[in-house]
Amino acid sequence: MKCFQVTALAAMLMFAPLAFAQTGAGSSAAEEEELKKLDHKWLDAEKRLDIAYCEKFFADSYVLVFPNGQAYTKKQWLDILRGPDHPVITMLDPEDIKVHLHGNVAILTDHTTLKGHDSKGNSMDGEFNVFRVVIKKNGNWQATGVVMNAIAAKK
Amino acid sequence: MKLVYGLAACFPIIVATAALTLGQTPNKAVESDAAATIAVMDHIWLDAAHNRDTGTMAWLFADDFVEIHPGGDIVDKKEQIDQIRDPSRTIAEIHPDDIDVRYVSSDVAVLLDTTTIRGLSGGVDYNGTQKVIRVFVKEQGRWRAAGAGIVPIKP
Repeated sequence: MKCFQVTALAAMLMFAPLAFAQTGAGSSAAEEEELKKLDHKWLDAEKRLDIAYCEKFFADSYVLVFPNGQAYTKKQWLDILRGPDHPVITMLDPEDIKVHLHGNVAILTDHTTLKGHDSKGNSMDGEFNVFRVVIKKNGNWQATGVVMNAIAAKK
Repeated sequence: MKLVYGLAACFPIIVATAALTLGQTPNKAVESDAAATIAVMDHIWLDAAHNRDTGTMAWLFADDFVEIHPGGDIVDKKEQIDQIRDPSRTIAEIHPDDIDVRYVSSDVAVLLDTTTIRGLSGGVDYNGTQKVIRVFVKEQGRWRAAGAGIVPIKP
């Protein structure tokens, strides 16, 4: 009887750490939901020119690639947002967000509708499919890359 | 007899401790080599596309691979490989330049490159240079391509 009890206890000890080591389907689904909310929060912050949030949320490695192929580092993009020639964005909504989770990095793809204008009044309106990369550092997700692709009219 | 019970109890604990060790993040010491490895992987990826080497692409791409093409099309691993295999699509030239590894850790790498392409795919003319963010993840001990966002550089 004692032998059985020891074996049962040993089996429980053996499997418990394995459960800790794996990524459960439930936690993955919860993380995907968290990342979808983060996408909305991120774009809302950019729309409202919430520089403090962006400063914290963008990793030092952050790079933003516009639909014309122009790339901006974190410093370059934040300087534009905080400067006198910042764009005026009235709508920046991500839809159809898909999360591709790979441990400490996630790729989000979404369809973003942008309405607004630059400092000279030129329209920036458009529909974009966007590739976003976020990385998890010290338990927090940070944006590290964005590629905006204008959606071509279907032929 | 007590000794036997004691050994029986200790063995699973040793196994359990080993399982915990396997679940830990790899040592940071390997990160210094990762950037060079990733730059080579970038070339392998594009050489495979150029040579229609779909076997290498299947080996390289993570199962949850995603790519956004110029024009905004979003494709998964199977769709991307099928497009490369499609004889009606032409890739006369494709190679990366200016590879800038923006972020690297023991299991994640994000790079920005300028990719030159001459070809036609999905009705979209790819002739010219593209700005590309590529994401690599280490899965089961080897680096795999997790995704790419591609946008044409407009003159």
